[in-house]
Amino acid sequence: MNSKPPDDRRDEARRKIVGRAQELGKWETEVRKGGLGLAVLAILWPGRLYGLEILRRLDSDAGMSIPEGTIYPLLSRMKAEGLVDSEWVESDAGHPRKYYRLTDPGRERVREMAQSWRAFAQGLERLLAPIDGESQ
Amino acid sequence: MTRDAGMAHLDTYLDQVRRYLKPLPKSEIDEVVAELRSHVLDKVAGQPTPNQVEAAIEALGSPREVARFNLTERVSAEVEEDRSPLTVLRGIVRLAGLSLYGAFAGLVSFTGYGIAASFLIAAAVKPFARGRAGLWRLPDGTDSFSLTLGVTDHPPGHQGQELLGWWLIPIGIAVGLGLGWLTWRFGLFSVRLMRRSARRGRA
Repeated sequence: MNSKPPDDRRDEARRKIVGRAQELGKWETEVRKGGLGLAVLAILWPGRLYGLEILRRLDSDAGMSIPEGTIYPLLSRMKAEGLVDSEWVESDAGHPRKYYRLTDPGRERVREMAQSWRAFAQGLERLLAPIDGESQ
Repeated sequence: MTRDAGMAHLDTYLDQVRRYLKPLPKSEIDEVVAELRSHVLDKVAGQPTPNQVEAAIEALGSPREVARFNLTERVSAEVEEDRSPLTVLRGIVRLAGLSLYGAFAGLVSFTGYGIAASFLIAAAVKPFARGRAGLWRLPDGTDSFSLTLGVTDHPPGHQGQELLGWWLIPIGIAVGLGLGWLTWRFGLFSVRLMRRSARRGRA
């Protein structure tokens, strides 16, 4: 029935596996991107931070390593929306840094976003429970 | 010496970013550039050797990419706030220099609005200049012809044939408004598309 030489079949199988891994990667990127805004606002919850600190926290705490150049437009959009405020502060490093902090509406927003994220995650968790049971 | 070379490298990079950001107001360009400078200086942690600076710059993205992130984000925020055709057109013009699609969108927008305006103007002028406003079919040769729309002091007269007569008024208004609407929707779509692709570009 199958007239393809074994090498071709192996290549095809490998391509399928690579293709599936790429699909999964794309999906993961989308999911993370969906949570990016919430993650940035949540990182600012305890106090003010500058851009590079936010990037590092995103990476270390949430495993979200985003292209560095995209954080500033995102922050500036949040500022335009009134969710964060910014100020330049002289630093010991010898150059000024731009710090971001949550505004009151920003605090309100992150609280609401966290609530809705948790509700969604808990619902999903219930749906995933049988899968965990089976794979163990 | 290497410190100076590193700083010179950073300045060249920031100058290029500045050039791509030109469509923005100067105060905003200064703000973006100052923040990028501060970012790179923090990244190299007081050791601005050319290699360190290069690595920091590479993580940020090329000047064109960095400008694209900033401009698309900024323009799409403006457009979502005020979706009037003028804001959308201004946004498209700002994004035109950043990508091939941007240039294409600019060209389509200007052509679309240009033709729409011609129909509307011709329709508006028709009642006052009956013989001078119209859509003419002009013979170019034996088999070919061209169409000329508009208002002219020298109507093509006997060589050309005016096609619409008084119908120019309703047809001109309908086509003009329809085409204007389509061009506007295309502009909105393009701004959103460019923002999505800028975000996706290096995600």
